Amino acid sequence: MDNTREDIPSWLKTPEHYRPGTDRDGFVSRSLLSLSAALAQFRLDGGRQSRCSPTAATKLLFAVGCVLLVSLSRNYLFVLIMLAGVLVRACLLPREALAHVMAGATTAASFTFLVMLPAILLGQAQSPVTLATKAFVSTGLVLSVALTTPTHKLTRALRRFGMPGVAILTADLALRSIVSLGQTASEILTALQLRSVGRNHNKQASMGGVGGVTLLKASRAAQDTYDAMRCRGFDGSYELGGADPLTWIDACWGLLFAALVAAFFYLQGLV
Amino acid sequence: MHIPENYLSPSTCAVTTVAMVPVWASAVRHVRDEVPREKIPLIGIAAAFSFLAMMFNIPLPGGTTGHAVCGTLIAILFGPWSAVLAISIALAIQAVFFGDGGILSFGANCLNMAFVLPFVGYAIYRAIAGDKPDLKRELIAAGIGSYIGLNVAALLCAFEFGIQPLLFHDAQGAALYCPYPLSVSIPAMMLGHLTVAGLAEAGFTVGILAFVRSAAPSFGIETRAASTNSLVPVLGLILVLVAACPLGLIATGDAWGEWATEDLAQMVGYTPQGLANGWEWNSFMPDYSVGSLPEWLGYVVSAVIGVALLVIIFRLAANAAKPTVNFEA
Repeated sequence: MDNTREDIPSWLKTPEHYRPGTDRDGFVSRSLLSLSAALAQFRLDGGRQSRCSPTAATKLLFAVGCVLLVSLSRNYLFVLIMLAGVLVRACLLPREALAHVMAGATTAASFTFLVMLPAILLGQAQSPVTLATKAFVSTGLVLSVALTTPTHKLTRALRRFGMPGVAILTADLALRSIVSLGQTASEILTALQLRSVGRNHNKQASMGGVGGVTLLKASRAAQDTYDAMRCRGFDGSYELGGADPLTWIDACWGLLFAALVAAFFYLQGLV
Repeated sequence: MHIPENYLSPSTCAVTTVAMVPVWASAVRHVRDEVPREKIPLIGIAAAFSFLAMMFNIPLPGGTTGHAVCGTLIAILFGPWSAVLAISIALAIQAVFFGDGGILSFGANCLNMAFVLPFVGYAIYRAIAGDKPDLKRELIAAGIGSYIGLNVAALLCAFEFGIQPLLFHDAQGAALYCPYPLSVSIPAMMLGHLTVAGLAEAGFTVGILAFVRSAAPSFGIETRAASTNSLVPVLGLILVLVAACPLGLIATGDAWGEWATEDLAQMVGYTPQGLANGWEWNSFMPDYSVGSLPEWLGYVVSAVIGVALLVIIFRLAANAAKPTVNFEA
């Protein structure tokens, strides 16, 4: 027994009290992880259409037209009428979509308001409020359309309006990659956090590595997707097939848009 | 009953706001613990009733106007603490977006309309209705409770107005804020509320409660979870009220204590200093109107925005609430 005890090296006999120095990992855990979380927010779900949803093409035209009218409007009442419409539409959205639309629209409006605050000093007290309301309405409209339309139907609608196939392909691949890239970045950062034992002042040096690996993975994922599409006979052009039949719901939305255009010109004339 | 900006001294506003802080905290705790998550959005719809009821101005004796609040109605359907939150948020939207009620006097307005009114009305309702009332007894209790609740709130509001010239005046005795003492404010406020506004509150409460009990029995905290279809009649009633809200414009004149500074100066012969130099919030749509455009259009747009905001706020609150699972069911 004694011999065995003597065989043990002395450094092994002393109890270890390793206390790693407190490390500041705010750089990793807060800055970049929150960035990845923000990226993950771009996740596109299937898009759920309601019973009164028009075809994607009508919806897209309606949304673009409304954003244009709101931007051109010099009458605040018209913006408020559109605000009422966006809020009513938001009320009817499913729970998650409602939170998404309100968060996006409120952020856009708050940012616009902050940027426009100096206008108050120049005597334009109403401008920040007007522009913030316009930003809220436009963002709310676009998000509502995005969240209530399946992605493939939006792609189809874009193609119907003559957008080049390459542009659609690029946008499609980019949007789909954002989610997986957000996850990849998050995994790399978690690995970096786990491997960084003890005090490490040099975490920022890993920034390039994280970005580089994410870029390489992105490029590989895009190439794989493109190859898979080529294998299935994709030649870069989007064939539309049969036209989407317009329904009475599209007609109703068309009438609503005509009413909005009429209200726009009437109210514009009163200013 | 919406006290405008600068009619109360900053110290009165501070005292009432500080008094409301524990009430709001308690209300949030009670709603979080007692109201099932799926019922929280319904409080938003109930708050919409209150918002719309406050837009229906009714002519009162003496040339002023008044309105119902429906605080007792929300307390009966969802409990008094839910009513505190619902009416407070409705008042906040009215103050920030439409300039109806002041920002500084928000605490005082909440104390009167969001706290005292629903609690008094609900206590009387419970005392008369008992535990398991039939519909007739429940409606009578709701009518009496809401009538007394509104009048107690109006009395408190008149008291807040009336103590201003007693407590805050300059060396010459001129009032700094509201110039009317208790001997004027209490009779002026109570005459209109005891005769017409209280009856309007009782009418709104009994009418909506009777409709809800027969058309949408699941709309309330004591019943099972509401299905979407059972809410259709309630949403239909909201649409009717939105469309009818321009009727509130028929009543001309201001509510007592809600005059513009110039009008008040004409009535009393001078402009109280606090009103002349006080801070004022520029709301998006002052008095529910925009420029020289048709008043009815501004009123309808305001009603839609207010109702939609209330529904959205309470739906988002339901998102944030913890899901409730009843393992004993």
